[in-house]
Amino acid sequence: MDKLVINDLTFRYKNSGPDIIKDLDFTLQLGTFNVLYGPSGCGKSTLMKIIAGLYPEFSGHVTSGKMYIDSEDVDDWNTQDFSKHVAFLFQNPNDQFSMTTVKREFIFTLENLGLPIEQIEETIDRSLERVGILNFKDRKLDTLSGGELQKVSLAITLAMNSDLIMLDEPFACIDIKSRKQLLELLKDLQENDHKTILITDHDLMGYQGIVDDLYHFDDGQVQPVLKPAEVFATYQKENRQLLFDKPGDTVESIIDLHELNLQNGAKSLINSASVDVFKGKMILLTGENGTGKSTLFSALTRLHDYRGSIKYLKKDILKYNQRKYARYVGLIFQDSQMQYLKLTVEDEIKLSLKHTNYPDFWTDDVVEDYLKQLNLAHLKDHVVYQLSGGQKKKLQIFEMLILGDPVLLMDEPLAGLDLHSTKTVMKLIKTVASEQELTVLMISHQLGGLQDFFDYHLQLKNQCLTYTEVLNYESIS
Amino acid sequence: MNPSLKLGLVLIISFELAFMQSVIANLVVAALGLLYLLFKHVSIKKILWMFLVSIIPVFGTWFSFYAHGSGDAMHSAWLLSTRVYAYIFLGGILSYTGTVDELLGSLEQNCRLPSKFVYGTLGAFNFAPRVVVTVKQMKTAAMMRGEALHVWSPEIFFKSILISLRWSDNLSQAMVSHGFNETATRTHYDTYAIPWWNWLVAGVCLVGLQFLAFSGLF
Repeated sequence: MDKLVINDLTFRYKNSGPDIIKDLDFTLQLGTFNVLYGPSGCGKSTLMKIIAGLYPEFSGHVTSGKMYIDSEDVDDWNTQDFSKHVAFLFQNPNDQFSMTTVKREFIFTLENLGLPIEQIEETIDRSLERVGILNFKDRKLDTLSGGELQKVSLAITLAMNSDLIMLDEPFACIDIKSRKQLLELLKDLQENDHKTILITDHDLMGYQGIVDDLYHFDDGQVQPVLKPAEVFATYQKENRQLLFDKPGDTVESIIDLHELNLQNGAKSLINSASVDVFKGKMILLTGENGTGKSTLFSALTRLHDYRGSIKYLKKDILKYNQRKYARYVGLIFQDSQMQYLKLTVEDEIKLSLKHTNYPDFWTDDVVEDYLKQLNLAHLKDHVVYQLSGGQKKKLQIFEMLILGDPVLLMDEPLAGLDLHSTKTVMKLIKTVASEQELTVLMISHQLGGLQDFFDYHLQLKNQCLTYTEVLNYESIS
Repeated sequence: MNPSLKLGLVLIISFELAFMQSVIANLVVAALGLLYLLFKHVSIKKILWMFLVSIIPVFGTWFSFYAHGSGDAMHSAWLLSTRVYAYIFLGGILSYTGTVDELLGSLEQNCRLPSKFVYGTLGAFNFAPRVVVTVKQMKTAAMMRGEALHVWSPEIFFKSILISLRWSDNLSQAMVSHGFNETATRTHYDTYAIPWWNWLVAGVCLVGLQFLAFSGLF
């Protein structure tokens, strides 16, 4: 039996705008594990939101086509009918919740569905137990990491009893260990609870052997992949260990951490770390989810309190004038929109050019050339807030590179970028960094295609920061 | 006491107090408010804090009427300064003896407030801690790009509006994805009833208040 059938679907955001999805046909078999892959910004999320009933309710127009879930025509379904059949996990797990604690969110959900109150407690316990996180029940949601939030989301879908579970780029901000656990859990739910699973991803690492059907999304259409092994092979090749140098005694430091202690609420993240960040080097910062990598960046940019000392060029960072310091150590935020100040792509770039430290380097031709490489040149008059996730990221990285701040912290700049874009962006960062002698410290969970770009590797593990030479991430497959 | 009834009672008392000319009535209300706070085990620190923050407005009010008031300046001075305390403790009752969750839940069940309003407001309240962090981030992000954002910069408003729009959109999608539908009937895990003695207490308070209002005390 078919779980989901879509015939001839066409969707656009604006009446006069282009079709994001064109005459799309798509069928999912009951109880199968499916992956839909394709480049970033191609419309995968849009398709998922249509299947989940969020679109066109919240945005856009379906101009043609039919959709059937469990052989029922969904035309007259309201949002609640959808939520009883289809569970949808958002790209950003923080966006999934509206209450404060795990239990409160469960209660809210089960009340919505009209579950009798005497069954609520038991349903919560059973669902959390199934996912193995019963101890999370009374935790506050804002103390959970991305991977933990996703497990809670999954537990909620079990409580809601929806049979089709869709996950939109679930691993973009998740470390390898959590990724592996989540995939195993999903496979378990498929095999033992007969759920139908649909995941969109741009990176196929770790899916081989788990997936029943692989689909490719391109140009507004979905095509089944007939020989998945070949596709997986191209992704597997990227999965090796990464090798780095160990910093020698002669390299000059630009930021010194001394006995640094970081906390998030009551949870200790970094305990008495003393480590240097070296001038003009590209450093990769890794560590499992929720270990405190982003919090470290917040501390380095004076957005988070800490104990111990952080020095920039041998002077305490708290002693610098705030405005000046912001131009010494820049941060590429995980949320691209945080970085924007203007409306259009062109104005954003002009603003960066106005304040750049290297006006001679950034001539009109050079800027134009890079925009072409990043595939942004044709988008100059576009409103930045309407770009796709990947385009936003590329623009954000580019405008921060133009500024040429001596130290640039990058928080998951590659999240949501496909392999091709990753390589283009990494090349850009590497070239500009070496031209302008920038120091780059980058957090990335996505490790495919990163070989040869970094000098050093800084690992955050067991609340300690250490430079290591080998980063092995093949264990997943 | 039931949160909705408590809110109603506090509002009625506050409203009537605004028209009353009795220092004693103010003191009685303030004292009863204080007793209720103590009865509910509100921490002494919070209560002291309420006394402390009000010193400047209370003294300012008292002094300005005493120095510049016309007519019975002394009475006005005492009347308005004690009124501040009555209001502070009434406010304290609302803030410290109940949560937003309880109040909204009770308003939904006891006063038939639409669930869309109740859960929308609740969701928005849960966003509050993020607002502080985000404003700080916005300012730092702008400084990193060489621009300073001030309270009067149009960019800060523009960005705040954009972020609010996105948050509201995210919040509604989050609620819908977890089955929320304003037209569907829902069950209630926490139920808020109004027991008979609540009505009795409210009735006694209101009758007592009328006595204070119309007995012509100082």
